[in-house]
Amino acid sequence: MVGSIALKTVGDRWRGTVIGAGTIGLFLLAGMAAYREIDLEIYQQMPEVFLSLIGIPPDADVAVLTYAAVYGFYGALVLSSIALSMGSASMAGEERDGTAGLLLGNPRSRRQVLASKSVAIVALTSLGAFVLWLAGLGAPALLDVSTTGMHVGALIAHLLAIALFHGFLAMAIGAWTGRRSLASGITAGVMAVSFVAVGVLPLFEGLEELAKLFPWYYLDGGQPATNGVQWGHVALLLGGAVALGIAALVGVERRDLRGRESGTTMIDRLRAHPMTDQWFERLAGSTRVSAIWVKTTSEHQGLALVSGMLMFWMMGVLMGPMYAAIDPSVLAFANELPEVLVAMIGGADMSTPEGWYVAETFSLMAPMAVMAVTVTVGARALGGEEANGTMSLLLTNPIRRSRVVLEKTAAMVVLATGLGTATFGGVMSGSLLAGLGLDVGNVAATSTLVTLLGLVFGALALAISAAVGRVRTAVYGAVGAALAAYLLDSFLPFSDRLASLARLSPFGWYLGSDPMTNGMDWGHAGLLSAAFLVLVAASVVLFQRRDLRQG
Amino acid sequence: MTTEPAIRTLGLTKHYGDVEALVDLDLEVRLGEAFGFLGPNGSGKTTMIRTIMDEIRPTSGTASILGFDCHRDAVEIRRHIGYLPGDLEMYPRLTGRDTLRFFANLRGGVDWSYVDELAERLDADLAKRVGDLSTGNRQKVGLIQAFMNRPALLVMDEPSTGLDPLVQREFQEMVREVVTEGRSVFLSSHTLSEVQRVADRVAIIREGRLVAVEDVRDLRTKAIRRVEFLLDSAANADVFAGVPGVREVTTDGARVLLSYEGRMDALLRAIGDRHEILDITTHEADLEEVFLTFYRDEATDPLAARGTQPSAQAVG
Repeated sequence: MVGSIALKTVGDRWRGTVIGAGTIGLFLLAGMAAYREIDLEIYQQMPEVFLSLIGIPPDADVAVLTYAAVYGFYGALVLSSIALSMGSASMAGEERDGTAGLLLGNPRSRRQVLASKSVAIVALTSLGAFVLWLAGLGAPALLDVSTTGMHVGALIAHLLAIALFHGFLAMAIGAWTGRRSLASGITAGVMAVSFVAVGVLPLFEGLEELAKLFPWYYLDGGQPATNGVQWGHVALLLGGAVALGIAALVGVERRDLRGRESGTTMIDRLRAHPMTDQWFERLAGSTRVSAIWVKTTSEHQGLALVSGMLMFWMMGVLMGPMYAAIDPSVLAFANELPEVLVAMIGGADMSTPEGWYVAETFSLMAPMAVMAVTVTVGARALGGEEANGTMSLLLTNPIRRSRVVLEKTAAMVVLATGLGTATFGGVMSGSLLAGLGLDVGNVAATSTLVTLLGLVFGALALAISAAVGRVRTAVYGAVGAALAAYLLDSFLPFSDRLASLARLSPFGWYLGSDPMTNGMDWGHAGLLSAAFLVLVAASVVLFQRRDLRQG
Repeated sequence: MTTEPAIRTLGLTKHYGDVEALVDLDLEVRLGEAFGFLGPNGSGKTTMIRTIMDEIRPTSGTASILGFDCHRDAVEIRRHIGYLPGDLEMYPRLTGRDTLRFFANLRGGVDWSYVDELAERLDADLAKRVGDLSTGNRQKVGLIQAFMNRPALLVMDEPSTGLDPLVQREFQEMVREVVTEGRSVFLSSHTLSEVQRVADRVAIIREGRLVAVEDVRDLRTKAIRRVEFLLDSAANADVFAGVPGVREVTTDGARVLLSYEGRMDALLRAIGDRHEILDITTHEADLEEVFLTFYRDEATDPLAARGTQPSAQAVG
């Protein structure tokens, strides 16, 4: 019945939701503790357009600033991801796991199943929002920070609305195509593009209005934290969610259900097409299966390709001309910024092209793109084969378990290097196109460091996967650690007492030395490489010792 | 290559928490024999196979294959064996041929003409992607994978899952050929008739414990026969009751139905002394009946046993 399917989904996922939202709540507490120590005078003097660029509402006080930084971005990201993962799993996930037939063997229509999954999405996303709300009230109370004039509830309402929008977007795509990875991929892409667009478009005269085309605008465009709930915006997002939900209900009835996952990749299609089969037969056939690392690399081609394109074209090439087009007076102000603030936007001094690229491309998007790939590869490397039941067949062959771990690591390195290269190529092209004159060596150094950073967290996912053999645990663990490391690096430097702790964060080893200006910091590169190697070695040992999981 | 047994386990034990999936298993599979491993669902067959394949590690006890230690020499062992896991899963996006190529590459190459021969015998479609194949057709790819390197020992967990009767027969023929060549086969099954057709010896396992190891031929001579006589006149039940090995006699005028265990000539002589025999029909009880007759008392009733399995997932 409708209720029992919803209850099962809620039962499967409520822990992850509470942990995810709770972690963000803890970050809020930590961030607020750090921000409390900043002198906020400086904000009064900044032009509004600049504040919007770095995502700070005018008249910010400690509370507003922290909410904006933690909830406005990470809260929205985590809550949206929770909804996204449920949305894409709802029907397409059952099809991928081969359980859709069984589920629909019961006297329930596809629509009823999807409707009950929708109930679960709304319930769990609301649960996450509720946890965020509790933390949002609790943190300032604990730290004795004033929240006068703050509308925490309003901010949470907007978070919930955008998360539901993303959740139902993923559900609609999954319902129409039956492909879970496509549903999560497109939705994540929409999130990324929309986030960047909303940050960048207002910098251009005449383009401000265009930002309203992107969902992310309706999260914070009306600054609900200070102005209260923007009902029009919330209604727009929720209306979109409802429309997408209806689209999902229509779509799911209109097509054949898929069996267990057997989606095709681009190379497979080219291989099947009579015009291209000659060229791709070898690549899709004998080359792909020539070794474990080649096969693993090929399995993640879609994700790597999309992330690579995003980094090359949008975060690389496009950002060059964009910098050249921005009104210099906006950027000139960046010179006056106090150091702490520069640190907060990723150590970037935006009055220079180097700083611009750090703030827009390298501080956040590049690590996220590389990690999306490395963490996926690392988590699926062992746990994925175990969950799919293919590990026993793989280990039927005369190879050591350590070789499996090392070849999977090699695939991760290949893909991360590809992404690093795409980022490097994109940024250099952007620089050449706009005549920014970036130093090749410095861009290469920064791209190398971001690759290494991605590999560290990929190897962490691999190690967790090697220890427990569960994909989801590995992903949560690695992403949680990355988030903690990022926040550690962004917040702690503000506090004199805690600043030294920030040196422990791999993010500090990445941009801490400002490699875009100063070139390669070999010490940091060494630290990142060492962390990577230690984690890979740990993976080998952990995987050797353990009983393989079955199916 | 070796005179060590194909498989030997000594006190092999595997616990999952409190669940005893495998208890003190002593087993020896000889070189050049086909050995059947029988037991109801959840009796520990797969646990035993996964243990000797080094997928999981024993709580205590040791196991060796072809003289190599199952854990320490796991890689060396895999050079000499072919393995078909139970609940076979493969890479859905690869075609059958790509899958076999992948494993062949990991093995350092195989004889492709033999692969083609196997594919033809099993009527396997290697051009389709594995994800698009039915269970039985997927199983064929798995079987080819196990046979293709002409291993000294084949370990197969429920190999005929999903195969149609015709292909099952071909598979049994392939197993007999392997044994004829002096190689060894170890296969698990929960259907006795299958093992009866291919195996030389059979071990019976229940609740993780070895119940018996029997020669299949011995089992057959132990076999109980259902015998029906048509005599010249109404028979007296007492005549039959006196013959050793006769059980469950029912008479219906000149027609007599009984169960008999023993040599047929003894029975015929005993009856022939008193009656003229007009007709005899007899049929062999299959291993199922033999098994139930001989081992019913040594293990708990199968239905009750299933009910007491603490966790099917742990011992599958």
